[in-house]
Amino acid sequence: MEMTAIAQSLLNGLAISGIYILIALGLTLVLSIMGIVQISHGEIYMVGAYCVYYLIKSAGFSFIPALIVATLFVGCIGVFLERVFFRPFRGDPDRAMTVSISLILIIQNIVLFLAGGNPKSYSSPFTGVLFIFGIVIAWKRLIIVIVGFGLLVLLFLFIRYTKTGQAMLAISQEREGAALQGINIDFVSAVAMFLGCALAAVAAGFIGSLFSISPTMGSFALMKGIAVIILGGLGSIAGAVIGGLILGLIDGVLPAITSTYTAGLVGFAAIIIILLFRPQGIWGHE
Amino acid sequence: MTYLLTSLFLTVCLIFLPHFMSGPYYVHVFIITMMNIILTSSLRLISLSGQISLAHGGMMTIGAYTSALLVMRLGLSTWYAMLIAGLFVALVACLTGFPFMRLKGIYFSIVTVFFSEMVVLITQQWESLTGGSGGIYNIPAPGAIVVTGLFNIDFLSKIHFYYFALFLMIASLLILYAIEKSRIGFILKGIKQTDSLAESIGINTIGFKVLAYSTGCFFAGIVGAFYSHYISAMCPDTFGFFYTINILVYMTVGGIEVFAGPILGAFVLTILPEITRVLKEFMPFIFAAVLIAVIFFLPEGLAGLFSRLIAFIKKIIRIKNA
Amino acid sequence: MLEVKGLSKFFGGLEAVSNIDMTVKAGEIFGLIGPNGAGKTTFFNLINGVIRPTRGRVIFEGQDITGKKPHSVAKKGIIRTFQANNIFPDFTVIENVSLSCHLKTGIGIFEASLHTPGSKKKEKDVLERSYEIIKHAGLESFTNTAANSLSHGHKRILGIANALAAEPKLLMLDEPLGGMNAEEVSETINLIRRLLDDGLTILLIEHNMRATMSLCDRIFVINFGKKIAEGNPAEVKENPEVIKAYLGAGQNA
Ligand SMILES: Nc1ncnc2c1ncn2[C@@H]1O[C@H](COP(=O)(O)OP(=O)(O)O)[C@@H](O)[C@H]1O
Ligand SMILES: [Mg+2]
Repeated sequence: MEMTAIAQSLLNGLAISGIYILIALGLTLVLSIMGIVQISHGEIYMVGAYCVYYLIKSAGFSFIPALIVATLFVGCIGVFLERVFFRPFRGDPDRAMTVSISLILIIQNIVLFLAGGNPKSYSSPFTGVLFIFGIVIAWKRLIIVIVGFGLLVLLFLFIRYTKTGQAMLAISQEREGAALQGINIDFVSAVAMFLGCALAAVAAGFIGSLFSISPTMGSFALMKGIAVIILGGLGSIAGAVIGGLILGLIDGVLPAITSTYTAGLVGFAAIIIILLFRPQGIWGHE
Repeated sequence: MTYLLTSLFLTVCLIFLPHFMSGPYYVHVFIITMMNIILTSSLRLISLSGQISLAHGGMMTIGAYTSALLVMRLGLSTWYAMLIAGLFVALVACLTGFPFMRLKGIYFSIVTVFFSEMVVLITQQWESLTGGSGGIYNIPAPGAIVVTGLFNIDFLSKIHFYYFALFLMIASLLILYAIEKSRIGFILKGIKQTDSLAESIGINTIGFKVLAYSTGCFFAGIVGAFYSHYISAMCPDTFGFFYTINILVYMTVGGIEVFAGPILGAFVLTILPEITRVLKEFMPFIFAAVLIAVIFFLPEGLAGLFSRLIAFIKKIIRIKNA
Repeated sequence: MLEVKGLSKFFGGLEAVSNIDMTVKAGEIFGLIGPNGAGKTTFFNLINGVIRPTRGRVIFEGQDITGKKPHSVAKKGIIRTFQANNIFPDFTVIENVSLSCHLKTGIGIFEASLHTPGSKKKEKDVLERSYEIIKHAGLESFTNTAANSLSHGHKRILGIANALAAEPKLLMLDEPLGGMNAEEVSETINLIRRLLDDGLTILLIEHNMRATMSLCDRIFVINFGKKIAEGNPAEVKENPEVIKAYLGAGQNA
């Protein structure tokens, strides 16, 4: 392969990594704060894409305001779901799981009813290309890398330097202890759901500008998100980043070398094997 | 006793039901319902051991393709092909079960999801064998069963498939019930409660879990095979992630604690959308409402509702008698 | 009967069990004590195969059982109880014990599904045996009670009954008296004495010093995974290393 092709598939991989990391961060946040694998996260993501679509097509927004409004809106949906569906089942992960599974069907059916099953699409305003050392780089992919990693840094700063962020860290490390220290678990859970869902919406907004969107797009996102957090280690932010980078690069670069299917197979097989030999993930500890 | 009578009564109803149905569409709905009942009940067998499998979709796909290809490529009789497909799926489940069952809880569920996704990818990819993403068509129906003078089941009409599905369902439920009531069921329930204790008093917990997994998947394989011959077409993603999720929801909504739970769940949630077709537009919302109601008010599922109802009626009768 | 040679287990950098040599003789009751976190439970886990040792051998009745799965170790005759979760909470007492008779039912994975004519009789024998064990453990008035609704002390005793149902040659008890009131403690001590009279060999972890000292033939003390003393109760009580370890660990030990 020539230089440009390598650089482009790398950039492609990084863009996909950015998306995966955003999805996985949401899953990881909710998992470590609320103790549940939120498997309707993919549906939240799908809702995010539809919000952006309708804000652009029906409300006449341009892409960036649409993305911001959709992000806030989906974050609020997250807060609502936490309050109504997850809080009553805190400490009962089995039923929370059932709730989460049911939410998949409920949300998906609602969107199917409102928007129909046909794929839809909108275009990215980030057209054009950039030349760096003679390598052609598409803006619409580069912007994902920038936003994705930018949000990652923001999230890190939030956790590191705000009181709520520190409370999140405390809860993720020890649930009972945190309650004793007077941390408001209700509030922190709501924040975690808000952030998690908002991040998913950002990812979905960008995905919609690259590919088409449909009511069933969530399961793909969920698979990848779960794969990433398993690869990296459940409940760890660093793990989500590492897992996202690895899987994004596999999915971004391998198809250029082999086929999409093979890339998919390699990804799944890698995860099953890692789970069998290292259930705590690459970054997780025993 | 009540159980036995109810089951006999329902069976008789199901035998005569097609004669009262207004068209082939309803026959189809009942066939699908009976398939779903086998799927939920076999999934419950696996869950007796405390593990939630999400591999049913993948196992059905393997069963469907195995049976279809055995008939179409090797010219095997459909009957043998379906049985071999079921056994092959059980074997696959056994081989993958040993490593998978070492994982607990959500980890197990996740690898089974990924397993199913891999099955889809492989069937899409392996075009020379499976025909790739386009799927396979014209899968033959089962061979006719002719007993001269008595009956002639040629599988040209849907009704014949109805009776075949009814037979499969009753046979499966009888086997599953027998397993649950046997020492195996007892041991599985023990493993579910305290895995580490069961192991330390000498129970080969992994072995029993794999046994449950592979038996449960056997039925998934048979149902997949049945489906391919019934619909006569099969695509790699016919039984994808959402199909499995649906089965799981039917099972949980019905209630996982008792044998009748998944049957009830599969029946209500498959039939409900169809008989209220007038309301089809609003179906998603009715479905959602049922789900939410069950989540919040019926931790034991619809089966729990029934047993509460029966207890309530008994109470009323007792008050009247007193 | 049980011989442990150079047994070690590292968790990452932590040496939870370090180079332990130990011999337990048939028919004796052998105490294993040490402050919290000393590695006692880990030691049990290594012997019955819940975890694999980093180094060392476990030999039982002349056979090397190192690294075997718990159910295989159980088959050889080593049954252990846990600090918590020794019962099947949703089963009744008799169901608990009859499930724990698994090894003696002679019902294997494949036989379990086939209702042979013999299996009915076997099931009946199992129930009879289970009832004997329940009586031996003094739980006969709770035979059909759900295990979950027993008092804490009775749950622990049921845990021992479950272990007995598996017919151990060597019984390993992990803090059997933990959380019991005085009356339950003396009931359990009596049960342990009866088991010894029946000729059972017992390896006992217990924090209740009075009970340990009065019950045990020999005592083995570990701290930070290492052996610090071994001998009869009187010797161990006087050992300065032991006194230091217990004072250092504070009152929670
Ligand atoms: N599975 C494990 N992974 C990591 N560390 C462990 C594990 N099990 C026990 N430990 C550590 O090993 C040490 C010994 O624990 P344990 O055997 O439970 O002590 P004891 O039973 O004597 O109180 C403790 O520091 C404990 O934290
Ligand atoms: Mg301990």
